[in-house]
Amino acid sequence: MDEDAEKALATHEQELRRGTVVFASLVACRRPQYGYSLLTTLTEAGIPTEANTLYPLLRRLEKQGLLSAVWNTEQARPRKYYTVTDSGAEVAAALHTHWLDLDSSITKLWKDGTP
Amino acid sequence: MTVLTGIYIDNVIRHLPEGSRSDIAAEITATISDMIDDRLGEDPQPSPEHTAAVEREVLEELGDPAVLSREYSNSPQHFIGPKSYPLFLWTLRWILPIVGLIALLDNIVVTFATTPQAHLGEAIGPAIGNTVTALLTAFAVITILIGLGDRRVDDDALPRVPGRQKVPWTIDDLDRRDIRGRQTRAEAALGLVFILALAAIPFIPTTLLYVGHLNRGGTFINPDLGTGWLVGYWAFLALLAAVEIVRFVTASTRPTVAIIGGIIDVAMAVFLTAAMLTQPVFHPELTSASGAEVQQVITVIAIWIIVVWDQVSTWRVIRGWR
Repeated sequence: MDEDAEKALATHEQELRRGTVVFASLVACRRPQYGYSLLTTLTEAGIPTEANTLYPLLRRLEKQGLLSAVWNTEQARPRKYYTVTDSGAEVAAALHTHWLDLDSSITKLWKDGTP
Repeated sequence: MTVLTGIYIDNVIRHLPEGSRSDIAAEITATISDMIDDRLGEDPQPSPEHTAAVEREVLEELGDPAVLSREYSNSPQHFIGPKSYPLFLWTLRWILPIVGLIALLDNIVVTFATTPQAHLGEAIGPAIGNTVTALLTAFAVITILIGLGDRRVDDDALPRVPGRQKVPWTIDDLDRRDIRGRQTRAEAALGLVFILALAAIPFIPTTLLYVGHLNRGGTFINPDLGTGWLVGYWAFLALLAAVEIVRFVTASTRPTVAIIGGIIDVAMAVFLTAAMLTQPVFHPELTSASGAEVQQVITVIAIWIIVVWDQVSTWRVIRGWR
Protein backbone atom coordinates (compact mmCIF):
# COMPACT_ATOMS: atom_id res chain seq x y z
CA MET A 1 0.00 0.00 0.00
CA ASP A 2 1.50 3.37 -0.97
CA GLU A 3 1.62 6.45 1.22
CA ASP A 4 -1.51 8.08 -0.25
CA ALA A 5 -3.53 4.90 0.17
CA GLU A 6 -2.36 4.62 3.77
CA LYS A 7 -3.46 8.20 4.44
CA ALA A 8 -6.86 7.52 2.86
CA LEU A 9 -7.19 4.33 4.89
CA ALA A 10 -6.39 6.21 8.10
CA THR A 11 -9.07 8.80 7.32
CA HIS A 12 -11.72 6.20 6.52
CA GLU A 13 -10.82 4.11 9.56
CA GLN A 14 -11.20 7.20 11.73
CA GLU A 15 -14.64 7.89 10.27
CA LEU A 16 -15.66 4.28 10.77
CA ARG A 17 -14.38 4.29 14.34
CA ARG A 18 -16.15 7.54 15.22
CA GLY A 19 -19.59 6.05 14.77
CA THR A 20 -18.53 2.74 16.25
CA VAL A 21 -17.34 4.34 19.49
CA VAL A 22 -20.76 5.95 20.08
CA PHE A 23 -22.50 2.61 19.57
CA ALA A 24 -19.93 0.70 21.65
CA SER A 25 -20.16 3.24 24.51
CA LEU A 26 -23.96 2.91 24.65
CA VAL A 27 -23.66 -0.87 24.69
CA ALA A 28 -20.92 -0.88 27.35
CA CYS A 29 -22.82 1.56 29.57
CA ARG A 30 -25.69 -0.86 30.00
CA ARG A 31 -23.91 -1.36 33.29
CA PRO A 32 -22.56 1.75 35.07
CA GLN A 33 -19.12 2.78 33.89
CA TYR A 34 -16.83 5.62 34.86
CA GLY A 35 -14.63 7.16 32.20
CA TYR A 36 -11.46 5.15 32.67
CA SER A 37 -13.30 1.86 33.21
CA LEU A 38 -15.18 2.43 29.95
CA LEU A 39 -11.90 3.24 28.19
CA THR A 40 -10.42 -0.03 29.48
CA THR A 41 -13.56 -2.00 28.62
CA LEU A 42 -13.56 -0.71 25.04
CA THR A 43 -9.84 -1.37 24.62
CA GLU A 44 -10.19 -4.91 25.96
CA ALA A 45 -13.15 -5.46 23.63
CA GLY A 46 -10.91 -4.56 20.68
CA ILE A 47 -12.23 -1.04 20.20
CA PRO A 48 -9.26 1.11 21.23
CA THR A 49 -10.34 4.68 21.88
CA GLU A 50 -8.40 7.76 22.81
CA ALA A 51 -9.26 9.31 26.17
CA ASN A 52 -9.45 12.81 24.71
CA THR A 53 -12.14 11.60 22.33
CA LEU A 54 -14.13 9.47 24.74
CA TYR A 55 -14.68 11.92 27.61
CA PRO A 56 -16.12 14.76 25.52
CA LEU A 57 -18.23 12.14 23.71
CA LEU A 58 -19.69 10.89 26.99
CA ARG A 59 -20.76 14.44 27.86
CA ARG A 60 -22.41 14.86 24.47
CA LEU A 61 -24.30 11.59 24.88
CA GLU A 62 -25.36 12.76 28.32
CA LYS A 63 -26.61 16.05 26.86
CA GLN A 64 -28.53 14.12 24.22
CA GLY A 65 -30.22 12.16 27.01
CA LEU A 66 -28.78 8.85 25.88
CA LEU A 67 -26.63 8.47 29.00
CA SER A 68 -27.27 9.55 32.57
CA ALA A 69 -24.38 10.50 34.83
CA VAL A 70 -24.05 10.33 38.60
CA TRP A 71 -21.08 11.27 40.76
CA ASN A 72 -20.11 8.54 43.21
CA THR A 73 -18.31 10.12 46.14
CA GLU A 74 -18.41 7.09 48.39
CA GLN A 75 -15.13 5.73 47.07
CA ALA A 76 -11.69 7.15 47.86
CA ARG A 77 -11.64 8.85 44.47
CA PRO A 78 -14.84 10.54 43.31
CA ARG A 79 -15.90 9.19 39.94
CA LYS A 80 -18.63 10.02 37.49
CA TYR A 81 -20.62 6.95 36.47
CA TYR A 82 -22.44 6.83 33.18
CA THR A 83 -25.44 4.56 32.55
CA VAL A 84 -27.51 4.20 29.43
CA THR A 85 -30.98 5.74 29.70
CA ASP A 86 -34.18 4.18 28.33
CA SER A 87 -33.95 6.24 25.16
CA GLY A 88 -30.22 5.44 24.97
CA ALA A 89 -31.08 1.75 25.17
CA GLU A 90 -33.59 2.17 22.35
CA VAL A 91 -30.99 3.95 20.24
CA ALA A 92 -28.44 1.24 21.03
CA ALA A 93 -30.93 -1.48 20.03
CA ALA A 94 -31.71 0.34 16.77
CA LEU A 95 -28.00 0.80 16.06
CA HIS A 96 -27.45 -2.89 16.79
CA THR A 97 -30.08 -3.85 14.22
CA HIS A 98 -28.51 -1.51 11.68
CA TRP A 99 -25.10 -2.94 12.50
CA LEU A 100 -26.27 -6.51 11.86
CA ASP A 101 -27.99 -5.49 8.64
CA LEU A 102 -24.88 -3.68 7.47
CA ASP A 103 -22.74 -6.65 8.42
CA SER A 104 -24.83 -9.06 6.35
CA SER A 105 -25.04 -6.58 3.46
CA ILE A 106 -21.31 -6.02 3.39
CA THR A 107 -20.65 -9.75 3.71
CA LYS A 108 -22.99 -10.46 0.79
CA LEU A 109 -21.48 -7.64 -1.25
CA TRP A 110 -18.01 -8.90 -0.49
CA LYS A 111 -18.91 -12.46 -1.52
CA ASP A 112 -20.66 -11.26 -4.70
CA GLY A 113 -17.67 -9.17 -5.66
CA THR A 114 -15.10 -11.84 -4.91
CA PRO A 115 -13.98 -13.51 -8.13
CA MET B 1 -3.15 16.42 42.22
CA THR B 2 0.30 17.69 41.24
CA VAL B 3 1.09 21.22 40.10
CA LEU B 4 1.63 19.97 36.52
CA THR B 5 -1.75 18.23 36.38
CA GLY B 6 -3.39 21.31 37.90
CA ILE B 7 -1.92 23.54 35.21
CA TYR B 8 -2.98 21.08 32.49
CA ILE B 9 -6.57 21.00 33.79
CA ASP B 10 -6.67 24.81 34.10
CA ASN B 11 -5.62 25.00 30.45
CA VAL B 12 -8.43 22.65 29.45
CA ILE B 13 -11.23 24.36 31.34
CA ARG B 14 -10.34 28.03 31.05
CA HIS B 15 -12.19 28.49 27.75
CA LEU B 16 -15.16 26.33 28.72
CA PRO B 17 -18.48 27.67 30.05
CA GLU B 18 -18.31 28.61 33.73
CA GLY B 19 -21.04 26.16 34.73
CA SER B 20 -19.33 23.06 33.39
CA ARG B 21 -15.77 23.80 34.51
CA SER B 22 -15.77 22.15 37.95
CA ASP B 23 -17.52 19.03 36.66
CA ILE B 24 -15.11 18.58 33.76
CA ALA B 25 -12.10 19.38 35.96
CA ALA B 26 -13.17 16.73 38.50
CA GLU B 27 -13.70 14.15 35.78
CA ILE B 28 -10.35 14.78 34.11
CA THR B 29 -8.60 14.76 37.49
CA ALA B 30 -10.12 11.36 38.30
CA THR B 31 -9.18 10.06 34.86
CA ILE B 32 -5.58 11.23 35.08
CA SER B 33 -5.28 9.66 38.53
CA ASP B 34 -6.79 6.39 37.25
CA MET B 35 -4.46 6.34 34.25
CA ILE B 36 -1.39 7.04 36.39
CA ASP B 37 -2.37 4.37 38.94
CA ASP B 38 -2.96 1.89 36.17
CA ARG B 39 0.47 2.49 34.70
CA LEU B 40 2.27 2.43 38.02
CA GLY B 41 0.70 -1.02 38.52
CA GLU B 42 1.27 -2.94 41.65
CA ASP B 43 4.33 -0.95 42.71
CA PRO B 44 3.43 0.04 46.31
CA GLN B 45 6.02 2.78 46.61
CA PRO B 46 6.99 4.16 43.25
CA SER B 47 9.85 6.64 43.11
CA PRO B 48 8.89 10.31 42.63
CA GLU B 49 10.87 10.35 39.36
CA HIS B 50 8.94 7.39 37.99
CA THR B 51 5.62 8.87 39.07
CA ALA B 52 6.51 12.19 37.41
CA ALA B 53 7.51 10.42 34.21
CA VAL B 54 4.24 8.46 34.14
CA GLU B 55 2.29 11.66 34.81
CA ARG B 56 3.96 13.37 31.85
CA GLU B 57 3.22 10.33 29.70
CA VAL B 58 -0.46 10.38 30.65
CA LEU B 59 -0.82 14.11 30.04
CA GLU B 60 0.87 13.79 26.67
CA GLU B 61 -1.52 10.97 25.80
CA LEU B 62 -4.46 13.21 26.63
CA GLY B 63 -2.87 15.68 24.24
CA ASP B 64 -2.97 19.42 23.70
CA PRO B 65 -5.32 20.91 26.31
CA ALA B 66 -6.61 23.40 23.74
CA VAL B 67 -7.74 20.52 21.50
CA LEU B 68 -9.33 18.68 24.43
CA SER B 69 -11.08 21.89 25.42
CA ARG B 70 -12.47 22.28 21.90
CA GLU B 71 -13.76 18.70 22.03
CA TYR B 72 -15.55 19.48 25.26
CA SER B 73 -16.95 22.81 24.15
CA ASN B 74 -18.53 21.23 21.07
CA SER B 75 -19.09 24.74 19.73
CA PRO B 76 -18.59 25.58 16.05
CA GLN B 77 -14.94 26.08 15.15
CA HIS B 78 -15.79 28.21 12.15
CA PHE B 79 -17.18 31.67 11.57
CA ILE B 80 -19.55 30.84 8.72
CA GLY B 81 -20.68 27.24 8.79
CA PRO B 82 -22.35 25.02 6.20
CA LYS B 83 -25.76 26.23 7.46
CA SER B 84 -25.12 29.80 6.33
CA TYR B 85 -22.52 29.28 3.59
CA PRO B 86 -25.01 29.15 0.66
CA LEU B 87 -26.59 32.41 1.90
CA PHE B 88 -23.09 33.92 2.24
CA LEU B 89 -22.12 32.99 -1.33
CA TRP B 90 -25.47 34.12 -2.73
CA THR B 91 -25.18 37.50 -0.96
CA LEU B 92 -21.60 38.04 -2.16
CA ARG B 93 -22.58 37.14 -5.72
CA TRP B 94 -25.35 39.73 -5.77
CA ILE B 95 -24.14 42.51 -3.50
CA LEU B 96 -20.46 42.82 -4.48
CA PRO B 97 -21.01 43.49 -8.21
CA ILE B 98 -23.70 46.06 -7.40
CA VAL B 99 -21.50 47.80 -4.81
CA GLY B 100 -18.52 47.73 -7.20
CA LEU B 101 -20.48 49.19 -10.10
CA ILE B 102 -22.12 51.91 -8.01
CA ALA B 103 -18.80 52.89 -6.40
CA LEU B 104 -17.01 53.02 -9.77
CA LEU B 105 -19.69 55.06 -11.52
CA ASP B 106 -20.17 57.35 -8.53
CA ASN B 107 -16.46 58.16 -8.36
CA ILE B 108 -16.11 58.78 -12.09
CA VAL B 109 -19.22 60.98 -12.22
CA VAL B 110 -18.11 62.96 -9.15
CA THR B 111 -14.61 63.50 -10.58
CA PHE B 112 -15.90 64.74 -13.93
CA ALA B 113 -18.61 66.85 -12.30
CA THR B 114 -16.35 68.59 -9.80
CA THR B 115 -13.09 68.97 -11.75
CA PRO B 116 -12.96 71.76 -14.40
CA GLN B 117 -10.55 69.96 -16.77
CA ALA B 118 -10.83 66.31 -15.81
CA HIS B 119 -8.50 63.69 -17.27
CA LEU B 120 -9.46 60.07 -17.57
CA GLY B 121 -6.38 58.99 -15.59
CA GLU B 122 -7.31 61.44 -12.86
CA ALA B 123 -10.70 59.75 -12.55
CA ILE B 124 -9.54 56.13 -12.91
CA GLY B 125 -6.97 56.12 -10.09
CA PRO B 126 -9.21 57.33 -7.23
CA ALA B 127 -12.20 55.47 -8.68
CA ILE B 128 -10.37 52.12 -8.57
CA GLY B 129 -8.97 52.85 -5.11
CA ASN B 130 -12.35 53.85 -3.70
CA THR B 131 -14.08 50.93 -5.42
CA VAL B 132 -11.64 48.45 -3.87
CA THR B 133 -12.26 50.04 -0.47
CA ALA B 134 -16.02 49.84 -1.00
CA LEU B 135 -15.78 46.18 -2.07
CA LEU B 136 -13.63 45.26 0.94
CA THR B 137 -16.01 47.09 3.28
CA ALA B 138 -19.03 45.37 1.75
CA PHE B 139 -17.26 41.99 2.01
CA ALA B 140 -16.40 42.62 5.67
CA VAL B 141 -19.94 43.74 6.53
CA ILE B 142 -21.54 40.75 4.78
CA THR B 143 -19.09 38.33 6.42
CA ILE B 144 -19.59 39.75 9.92
CA LEU B 145 -23.40 39.91 9.66
CA ILE B 146 -23.76 36.39 8.30
CA GLY B 147 -21.09 35.03 10.67
CA LEU B 148 -22.96 36.49 13.67
CA GLY B 149 -26.24 35.29 12.25
CA ASP B 150 -24.81 31.77 11.86
CA ARG B 151 -24.49 31.57 15.64
CA ARG B 152 -27.92 32.97 16.41
CA VAL B 153 -30.43 31.59 14.00
CA ASP B 154 -31.73 28.11 13.58
CA ASP B 155 -32.48 26.49 10.23
CA ASP B 156 -36.10 27.65 10.13
CA ALA B 157 -35.17 31.29 10.62
CA LEU B 158 -32.76 31.42 7.69
CA PRO B 159 -34.12 33.05 4.53
CA ARG B 160 -34.50 30.80 1.51
CA VAL B 161 -31.86 31.28 -1.09
CA PRO B 162 -31.09 29.27 -4.20
CA GLY B 163 -29.58 25.95 -3.19
CA ARG B 164 -31.08 26.12 0.28
CA GLN B 165 -34.09 23.83 0.65
CA LYS B 166 -36.15 23.29 3.77
CA VAL B 167 -38.19 20.54 2.18
CA PRO B 168 -36.72 17.48 0.48
CA TRP B 169 -35.40 18.31 -2.97
CA THR B 170 -37.47 17.10 -5.93
CA ILE B 171 -36.77 17.21 -9.66
CA ASP B 172 -39.18 20.16 -9.90
CA ASP B 173 -36.65 22.23 -7.95
CA LEU B 174 -34.03 21.75 -10.66
CA ASP B 175 -32.72 25.06 -11.98
CA ARG B 176 -33.69 24.75 -15.62
CA ARG B 177 -32.42 28.13 -16.73
CA ASP B 178 -30.09 27.99 -19.71
CA ILE B 179 -26.75 28.59 -18.02
CA ARG B 180 -24.74 28.33 -21.24
CA GLY B 181 -27.11 30.72 -22.96
CA ARG B 182 -26.83 33.23 -20.14
CA GLN B 183 -23.06 33.00 -20.22
CA THR B 184 -23.02 33.46 -24.00
CA ARG B 185 -25.29 36.51 -23.73
CA ALA B 186 -23.11 38.03 -21.00
CA GLU B 187 -19.96 37.50 -23.08
CA ALA B 188 -21.66 38.95 -26.16
CA ALA B 189 -22.78 42.04 -24.21
CA LEU B 190 -19.25 42.53 -22.89
CA GLY B 191 -17.91 42.07 -26.41
CA LEU B 192 -20.26 44.76 -27.73
CA VAL B 193 -19.09 47.21 -25.06
CA PHE B 194 -15.48 46.46 -26.01
CA ILE B 195 -16.23 46.94 -29.73
CA LEU B 196 -17.91 50.30 -29.02
CA ALA B 197 -14.84 51.39 -27.06
CA LEU B 198 -12.58 50.36 -29.97
CA ALA B 199 -14.83 52.23 -32.43
CA ALA B 200 -14.49 55.39 -30.35
CA ILE B 201 -10.66 55.34 -30.36
CA PRO B 202 -10.28 57.61 -33.43
CA PHE B 203 -12.37 60.27 -31.63
CA ILE B 204 -10.75 60.13 -28.17
CA PRO B 205 -8.80 63.34 -27.49
CA THR B 206 -5.30 63.02 -26.09
CA THR B 207 -6.21 65.43 -23.28
CA LEU B 208 -8.11 62.59 -21.69
CA LEU B 209 -4.86 60.75 -20.91
CA TYR B 210 -2.51 63.58 -19.84
CA VAL B 211 -0.74 63.77 -23.23
CA GLY B 212 -2.85 66.55 -24.69
CA HIS B 213 0.11 68.94 -24.64
CA LEU B 214 1.94 66.81 -27.23
CA ASN B 215 -0.53 67.43 -30.05
CA ARG B 216 -2.64 70.23 -28.57
CA GLY B 217 -5.59 68.02 -27.74
CA GLY B 218 -5.81 66.23 -31.06
CA THR B 219 -6.69 62.55 -31.42
CA PHE B 220 -4.41 59.54 -31.02
CA ILE B 221 -4.81 58.70 -34.70
CA ASN B 222 -2.83 60.33 -37.49
CA PRO B 223 -5.15 62.98 -39.03
CA ASP B 224 -3.57 62.25 -42.45
CA LEU B 225 -4.62 58.59 -42.31
CA GLY B 226 -6.72 57.82 -45.35
CA THR B 227 -10.45 57.70 -44.84
CA GLY B 228 -10.52 54.26 -46.41
CA TRP B 229 -8.48 52.82 -43.54
CA LEU B 230 -10.84 54.30 -40.98
CA VAL B 231 -13.90 53.08 -42.85
CA GLY B 232 -12.32 49.64 -43.12
CA TYR B 233 -11.59 49.67 -39.38
CA TRP B 234 -15.18 50.52 -38.54
CA ALA B 235 -16.49 48.03 -41.09
CA PHE B 236 -14.58 45.20 -39.40
CA LEU B 237 -15.85 46.37 -36.03
CA ALA B 238 -19.39 46.44 -37.44
CA LEU B 239 -18.98 42.82 -38.59
CA LEU B 240 -17.68 41.79 -35.19
CA ALA B 241 -20.58 43.65 -33.56
CA ALA B 242 -23.01 41.81 -35.86
CA VAL B 243 -21.58 38.47 -34.70
CA GLU B 244 -21.91 39.54 -31.07
CA ILE B 245 -25.50 40.69 -31.67
CA VAL B 246 -26.32 37.30 -33.20
CA ARG B 247 -24.75 35.57 -30.19
CA PHE B 248 -26.70 37.84 -27.83
CA VAL B 249 -30.05 37.40 -29.53
CA THR B 250 -29.83 33.66 -30.20
CA ALA B 251 -27.60 32.78 -27.23
CA SER B 252 -25.93 30.52 -29.75
CA THR B 253 -23.08 28.27 -28.72
CA ARG B 254 -22.85 26.74 -32.17
CA PRO B 255 -19.33 26.41 -33.60
CA THR B 256 -20.45 28.09 -36.87
CA VAL B 257 -20.94 31.43 -35.12
CA ALA B 258 -17.59 31.05 -33.38
CA ILE B 259 -15.87 30.17 -36.67
CA ILE B 260 -17.33 33.27 -38.40
CA GLY B 261 -16.24 35.42 -35.43
CA GLY B 262 -12.77 33.89 -35.56
CA ILE B 263 -12.39 34.51 -39.29
CA ILE B 264 -13.42 38.17 -38.91
CA ASP B 265 -11.03 38.49 -35.96
CA VAL B 266 -8.09 37.21 -37.98
CA ALA B 267 -9.05 39.27 -41.07
CA MET B 268 -9.20 42.40 -38.95
CA ALA B 269 -5.80 41.59 -37.44
CA VAL B 270 -4.37 41.26 -40.97
CA PHE B 271 -6.00 44.58 -41.93
CA LEU B 272 -4.57 46.36 -38.85
CA THR B 273 -1.13 44.81 -39.45
CA ALA B 274 -1.15 46.11 -43.03
CA ALA B 275 -2.24 49.55 -41.82
CA MET B 276 0.43 49.67 -39.12
CA LEU B 277 3.29 48.49 -41.32
CA THR B 278 2.58 50.76 -44.29
CA GLN B 279 2.09 54.19 -42.69
CA PRO B 280 2.12 56.06 -39.39
CA VAL B 281 -1.23 55.23 -37.82
CA PHE B 282 -0.64 57.06 -34.54
CA HIS B 283 -0.51 60.86 -34.41
CA PRO B 284 3.07 61.82 -35.43
CA GLU B 285 3.37 64.40 -32.64
CA LEU B 286 2.81 61.77 -29.96
CA THR B 287 6.10 60.01 -30.60
CA SER B 288 9.54 60.74 -31.96
CA ALA B 289 10.22 59.88 -35.60
CA SER B 290 12.68 57.12 -34.66
CA GLY B 291 10.35 55.58 -32.07
CA ALA B 292 7.23 55.59 -34.23
CA GLU B 293 8.17 52.48 -36.18
CA VAL B 294 9.05 50.47 -33.06
CA GLN B 295 5.81 51.59 -31.44
CA GLN B 296 3.78 50.37 -34.40
CA VAL B 297 5.59 46.99 -34.47
CA ILE B 298 4.90 46.54 -30.76
CA THR B 299 1.25 47.34 -31.40
CA VAL B 300 1.11 44.73 -34.18
CA ILE B 301 2.63 42.10 -31.87
CA ALA B 302 0.06 43.02 -29.19
CA ILE B 303 -2.78 42.72 -31.71
CA TRP B 304 -1.70 39.21 -32.72
CA ILE B 305 -1.23 38.08 -29.14
CA ILE B 306 -4.79 39.21 -28.39
CA VAL B 307 -6.16 37.51 -31.51
CA VAL B 308 -4.41 34.19 -30.80
CA TRP B 309 -5.50 34.31 -27.17
CA ASP B 310 -9.09 35.04 -28.22
CA GLN B 311 -9.12 32.11 -30.66
CA VAL B 312 -7.66 29.68 -28.13
CA SER B 313 -10.03 30.70 -25.32
CA THR B 314 -13.07 30.56 -27.63
CA TRP B 315 -12.24 27.02 -28.76
CA ARG B 316 -11.54 25.87 -25.23
CA VAL B 317 -14.99 27.07 -24.16
CA ILE B 318 -16.70 25.40 -27.12
CA ARG B 319 -14.82 22.15 -26.54
CA GLY B 320 -15.78 22.25 -22.86
CA TRP B 321 -19.49 22.50 -23.77
CA ARG B 322 -19.47 19.49 -26.07
